[in-house]
Amino acid sequence: MQTQASKILWNGVFVAILLSLCGLIYLSGEKIDYNWNWQRVVPYIVNNEAASVAAPQDGSITSNAAGHLQLVSDAGDLLVDLTDYENITVYEGDLVFEGDQLASSEQWRIGPLTQGLIVTIKISLFSLVFAILLGLVIGLMRIADNPALRKLAITYIEIIRGTPLLVQIFIVYFFIGTVFDLERFTAGVIALSVFTAAYVAEIIRAGIQSIPKGQMEAARSLGMNYPQAMVNVILPQAFKRTLPPMAGQFINLIKDSSLVSVISITDLTKAGREVVSGSFAPFEVWFTVALLYLVLTSSLSWAIQRLEKRLAASD
Amino acid sequence: MTKDYQGDDMIVAKKVNKIYPNGCHALKDVSATVNRGEVVVIVGPSGSGKSTFLRTLNQLETVSSGSVHIDGTDMYAKDTNINSLREEVGMVFQNFNLFPHKTALGNVMLAPLKVAKRPKQQVEDEAKALMLKVGLADRMANYPSHLSGGQQQRVAIARALAMQPNIMLFDEPTSALDPEMVGEVLDVMKGLAADGMTMVVVTHEMGFAREVADRVLFMEDGELLVEESPENFFDNPSHPRLKQFLSMVL
Repeated sequence: MQTQASKILWNGVFVAILLSLCGLIYLSGEKIDYNWNWQRVVPYIVNNEAASVAAPQDGSITSNAAGHLQLVSDAGDLLVDLTDYENITVYEGDLVFEGDQLASSEQWRIGPLTQGLIVTIKISLFSLVFAILLGLVIGLMRIADNPALRKLAITYIEIIRGTPLLVQIFIVYFFIGTVFDLERFTAGVIALSVFTAAYVAEIIRAGIQSIPKGQMEAARSLGMNYPQAMVNVILPQAFKRTLPPMAGQFINLIKDSSLVSVISITDLTKAGREVVSGSFAPFEVWFTVALLYLVLTSSLSWAIQRLEKRLAASD
Repeated sequence: MTKDYQGDDMIVAKKVNKIYPNGCHALKDVSATVNRGEVVVIVGPSGSGKSTFLRTLNQLETVSSGSVHIDGTDMYAKDTNINSLREEVGMVFQNFNLFPHKTALGNVMLAPLKVAKRPKQQVEDEAKALMLKVGLADRMANYPSHLSGGQQQRVAIARALAMQPNIMLFDEPTSALDPEMVGEVLDVMKGLAADGMTMVVVTHEMGFAREVADRVLFMEDGELLVEESPENFFDNPSHPRLKQFLSMVL
């Protein structure tokens, strides 16, 4: 048992090492001939560049009953209601022509990096759900008594784990995608879920096999059939045990989703590449992209840890 | 399910053989009958096949040859649903095998809810009555990991009783318990016997066998060697192997 004092000391050592690492990175960043400018990254995450509103066709500015300005066409139809805009550049009674600026607004808009992040979240979530379902099926087939089911599962797992994900993405997109006329996004989700499912299946198999045989016997002796025993007794226990390796697998899934950028899905990684060529701030952009991935993966692992704690009630 | 006959024979095992794929011949022509309301205790050295035989009675082990009838139903007939047959036969295990993710009450309620699909309120009331019967009314919300071995085994008995079986099988129910907890489990079993439950008990508790059993069976090397009343079994053992066994355990 460590004393309180030595605990504080070693925590201090940890912080000191971390700080000096950061310092080293900062110094090496200063040393190279590079102009650090973090400001340049911000507009690619969120920006509020002014967007102007132009008249869609000729008309005149009138004010309505409530005193708000609006653009009305010569025929008397309401074209644009200017109530919501802040910087209105026209006055009541003005005649405007098609294309004239009516107002500009400073709305917050998400930049391409955030859009990429959303695509990454979406593709990961879809793949996660399908990977769990497919992995559960393959995992149960893997431990089935029926040789056909078991060998199919083993073949699946061996093929998928034995080939690189990048190659699988290409095959799914260019071959299967052509045969079935798949969209890029669908192809990406399929490749990722099929890949992850192979690992999920092995995790689930190990989890089920780690449950003592007596549990299945007790369930069966109470009159449960095999599926009832699985659903009510074995899987709930296996689920709890497989959470830590599952967390690792799901984090891998989020990171692996960066590979779908090769089939031109604008996920976080592809967005990063595009922003680099537009912003001329490669270092800042890639650090930002890494940070965004880290936020995603750490919130996932935090959520799973919370779940683990909640399930620990029966320990 | 068709009943071949009606009668007082709750369990009829005929010429049961069990040969494992590795060639081990665990049961050799074991035949036994258990009548309604009878308590039959099986004793024998470890590896004698007594647990294996008990497990053939609810088909946790399938037999290699021979037949088993439960309350007149042929276990191996084509139209026999083994799951509904098992509802008739409760089992208590050496290692309790409680479901660790459920509370004590949850363990008792699970099968009636999911298998018998009885209404929840009714199941809960019955489960609470059973917990009271095994003396654990104050432990219903505890998870198995927070119960002592004796308490866990009593929950396991309540769980088996929840399916309202006609037969109870006990597979060395006190062997994994600390000595001071054996009594509480045996007391529950004695209560069951007094209520007229048909019971088959594999145990090393000779005192229990002598006190509660209607008949005692002695097995060795997969063979059923002796089948006697407890008085004859313990006081006038005839078979030389039984004499030797009793001299070691008593």
